[in-house]
Formats: sequence, C-alpha cells, structure tokens
Amino acid sequence: MKANQKSLSVHGIGISNGKAAGTLKFFRRKGTDQSRIKTSMQTNDPAREHTRLEEAIKQAEVQIRTLYRRALETVGEEEAQIFEIHGMLLHDDDLLDAVKEELKGGKCAEEALDAGAQQVCAMLGALDDPYLSARAADIKDVVRQVSRCLSGETDDGMEREREPFILVADDLSPSETVMLEKSLILGFVTFRGTPNSHTAILARAMGIPDLVDTGEIDASCDGCYALLDAADSTLTVCPDSDQIAVFSEKQRKEDRIAREHDRYLRSLMNKPAVTRSGHRMLIYANIGDGSEVAGALSNGADGIGLLRSEFLYLECNDYPTEEHLFSAYRDIAERMQGKRTVIRTLDIGADKKITYFGLPEEENPALGFRAIRICLAREELFKTQLRAILRASAFGRLSLMLPMIVSVDEVRQSKRLLSESMDELRRENKAFDAEIELGIMVETPAAAIMCEELADEVDFFSVGTNDLTQYTLAADRQNPALCRLCDENQEPILRLIEHASEAIHRTGGWIGICGELAADLHLTQRFADMRIDELSVSVPYLLGVRGKVTECV
Amino acid sequence: MKQFTYCIEDPNGMHARPAGMLATFAKRFDSDIRVLANGKTADGKRLLSLMSLGAVHGTELTFCITGKDEETAAARIESFCRAGMKDTEEKKED
Repeated sequence: MKANQKSLSVHGIGISNGKAAGTLKFFRRKGTDQSRIKTSMQTNDPAREHTRLEEAIKQAEVQIRTLYRRALETVGEEEAQIFEIHGMLLHDDDLLDAVKEELKGGKCAEEALDAGAQQVCAMLGALDDPYLSARAADIKDVVRQVSRCLSGETDDGMEREREPFILVADDLSPSETVMLEKSLILGFVTFRGTPNSHTAILARAMGIPDLVDTGEIDASCDGCYALLDAADSTLTVCPDSDQIAVFSEKQRKEDRIAREHDRYLRSLMNKPAVTRSGHRMLIYANIGDGSEVAGALSNGADGIGLLRSEFLYLECNDYPTEEHLFSAYRDIAERMQGKRTVIRTLDIGADKKITYFGLPEEENPALGFRAIRICLAREELFKTQLRAILRASAFGRLSLMLPMIVSVDEVRQSKRLLSESMDELRRENKAFDAEIELGIMVETPAAAIMCEELADEVDFFSVGTNDLTQYTLAADRQNPALCRLCDENQEPILRLIEHASEAIHRTGGWIGICGELAADLHLTQRFADMRIDELSVSVPYLLGVRGKVTECV
Repeated sequence: MKQFTYCIEDPNGMHARPAGMLATFAKRFDSDIRVLANGKTADGKRLLSLMSLGAVHGTELTFCITGKDEETAAARIESFCRAGMKDTEEKKED
C-alpha cells in the first residue's frame, strides 16, 4: 500500500452486489503490437510468411476452442458463443483475403495481419452501426491471438500474481477475460464497458463485484488499497479509517448471511449423501478435462460420473497418439485418488468440427454417424483410445462408458475390441485393470427399451437425459418454441429411467444419471424412489444436490 | 437459379451469431449463395460480408442460389432461416 495519498472516490455502474477490499492491480498487455512488428520487419519471403500465417491460424484455432470450452464451464453457453464467433472470424474470407493481399505486397505476416484487420475494422466502422463497430473489438482480439501465435508467446501477457487483488483495466477482451487466473481476483473495475461487457458477465457468473464505465483512473493508483462497493457503484481508493470502518461493518453483515448457507452445504461435503430412509446416492461430477478435477474434489465429489473424453481430440490438429491419451487419463486417474472415474469413449460426430476426422456433412447429424458408430467403423481409432484408458486404469479406479448405444450387438462388438486390446497389452507386458467396469449411456429410447438385455452385458448404466429427452419427445430442447414441450413432458423420460433402474439392479449392476435432469432438485426425491445409485452433475451443482439428497425421504 | 425471400425476425437483426451460423451452414453447399438487402449484395458464405448488409429486424433478405446443389441448398437454407437462423440439425449435448 502506498502511504500519504488522499482518499479518492470513483463512480461507475455497479455489477452484482458484492463488496471487495484489496490492492488495485492495473492490467497491462505485454509488448505492444507495434514493437512486435518491428522485430520481424526484416523477413521478406512471401511464401514463408504465408506458411507462418497458416500455422499461426491453426494454433489460434486450437486456442480459441480451448477458450470456448473454458468459457462454457465458467460463464455458460450463451456467453461462450463469442468464442464460436471468434472461430468463425478466424476463417472469414474477407479478413483472410485482406491479409493475403497484404502478404503479396511484401509485408511480413504480423504486419499483413494488422493491416488486414485494420481494413476490415474500417469497413465495419463505416457502416455507422454501433453493434458492428463493436465487432471490431472481436476482430482485434482474434488478430491479437494469431499475432501471439506468430511470436510464439503462449500466455496472456499478464504477470503472475500471488496475492488476491482488484483488477483494474481500460476494458478486457473476451479472451483476456477468460484467461485470467480467477482465483486471485477480488473484483473488477473497468474504465469503459457496459453491464453487458465480458467482464461484467464473468463477474456475475463468478459472483464477484464489478464496477464498469468509471472513466480513466490515474495510473498512480496502481498498487493502492481500495474498497469496492458494487451496490453503491463506488470505488474508494486509499480510504481513511472511518471509511474502512463503515465499509467493513456492511461487508460483515452481508458475508454472514452468505456464509451461513455456504457453511451448511460445506458441512455436508464429506458426509455420504443418504436419504432419511437410508438410500445412499453417490454424487459425482461431470467434467470436460483434467483442469476440473481439483474443483470436483474440493466440492466433495464422490467420483467422476462423466469425463467427456473428446477434449484431447478437440485440442489437437491430428489424431492424438495412445501415449498422449494415456498420460492425460493417467493424470486424472491418479488425481482422483482411488475414487471412481467414468470415462465416456469418444462422442464425436459430423457436427463437432474436427477437420482431421474427415467426416462428410450430414443431413441430420443428431441422427447421424457419430459416437460409438464411428468407433465401431474405425476400429483402430477406437482401440487406440481403449488401450490408453486400459493402461491408465492401472493408476486409479477407471470405468469405461460407451455412448449412443442402441443394441446389444454394439456392446458385444465393443467388448470384443476391449478384450483384443487387453490381450495385446498382456503380450506387451503393460499393466491394466482386468476387472475394469464397463457401462453404457442410456440416451436412446432403443437402449431404454432393451435395458434388460443390455443389463446382462454391462456393469452399469448412465442415463444421458438430454439426448434421451430429445430422442424420446422428438423435440430439440434448444428450439425456443419447444422448451415448454420438453419441460412439461418429463414423465415419459422418468418412466424409461425407472425401467432401466429395475433392469440393471436385477443383474446386480448400478445406475447413474449424468444429464441435466440429475441437477434438477425437483426430481431428486423421484430419483431416490427409483433407487438411482448415482447423480452426476457439473461442479457448481455438486453441493446443492448433495444437500437435497439428505433432505429426501 | 433458386430464389426466396426471408424477413428477419431476430430482434437483434443480422448479428454476428446468426450471421456466423448462416455462413457456416451455407458453406455446406457447393452453390454460390448471394444475399441481397438494403441495395447491397453479400456472399452468403462470409460472416463479415453478411454482417455488413446492416440488416436489422424486419429487413427482407433475398437469397439467390446458383449451382448444382441449388435445389437442396435453397430448401435447407430457407428452413434454416425459418427456424430463426438456427441450425436445428445440430446435435445437442448428451
């Protein structure tokens, strides 16, 4: 904290009603775009520059996909869409043509990128539409991402902090926002921005205070102690002792209420979730990759009910190798410390754009060539994943789960490939868990109807209620016109689940639910009545569901 | 050439998201896809080009589709538009 500075009040628009007290930290971008250009001005080989650009775009594409997934986890689908748009901008022919034109003119990749982006931004600016002008920011963000790839920078340009702080910035781009190390951020203050800017959205999602549109704050405030009160829309820099006292008192009151609820839920964390009549339910987490393991464990997950194994494929530009898959699965298996981790095998289709899969466009991808159908048609691809999962099973408690099953035959074919993989590993003297559990997703009406025969083949079922709902009701849940239809017709889906539960229990197996319905607290009692053994939900819902189970009869 | 018109229902007009969805969807077809509005012509497979039409809620778009798969392209793009610029053929999570 700097001493001898006079107290200063800054006003803006407060977002989310929190309070925060801490050191202000001004956001700085590493290396301006200009300096980056100077360093590479000398190169003047258009063909080489073209290749560099193509490579950088490929890398940026992978990064943007990662950002999309991160945003999906932290702020939800609606807000994550901005990265989908960034991905599209990256391949926009107007932008690419402009850049390539500049390359032909003898500019280096960095320069051409900047010049091309400027042209396109100018074109958008000329349209005199505030929304379109604002898209210029997205183009700059995308271009900055490619520039970073060109210069080989990997991080977001922020210095690493150790102490929590209040982040101050002129404004933050979507990718900057998503890349921030959120655990250390007490609050946001932005000079510009609106209640709908990315930081505001993120702040709301994280439940931390945010003040936008404050106008520029003098850089001398960097490092000063400050009080941020989003409800009062005020930031007090270098407060005096009276101001601190009033602020603290208000903050204490608010915190007490929030903490009491949180404490109640936390108190349940390490206790088994048991209904009052004694039915134990395992509360598992749905995760997209290894980065979520820590969050799952710190929220009391009894295990992982769904690891979407697509992430390793989405992050690569070519088929990942067995070693690559193995080390990622092994890492997760080890970190779960003996708790069950259910890995769903590749669930990919023509709609999930993985170019190297070379899948043809389809009339109707939801009913198309996807998931287990691809895996059984491309045995080598499937076996690479099976071998990687088997090898990782020597390092923890892994279970295998097959998606999109409609028939017993598909399960038997998969089992044949699994036992072939086991034989190979034995011959190669590679360790694996020969007793690894095998389960299937129940997400098609066919699987639910054939559950008795399927139960004889597998150790467990996991119900994917999202797909099961859309296939059973013949209705797309994402279609706004059909939302109510789906919400009002849960009964057919619940009956299918009940049927599956009876079938798998008769053969001594277990059943979980990993779709959205698992987190619907109105249904927890019903699931307990059906003797569902496990509910798998995304990390933020873990404690709430656990609490609900203990309240069930 | 196949032609049809569609009046934008999205209150936000031809924003990045619908434009991006349309461009992505249009790229599935071989045919040349032109979109006319406000006296301007856009390439239906280009996001920025579509956005720069400046089409708002209520703007009438005219689609002109030329090529060997124009029949299917026109039919499917039209139903894509009628579904609110949403790819209802898309697969949903789990």
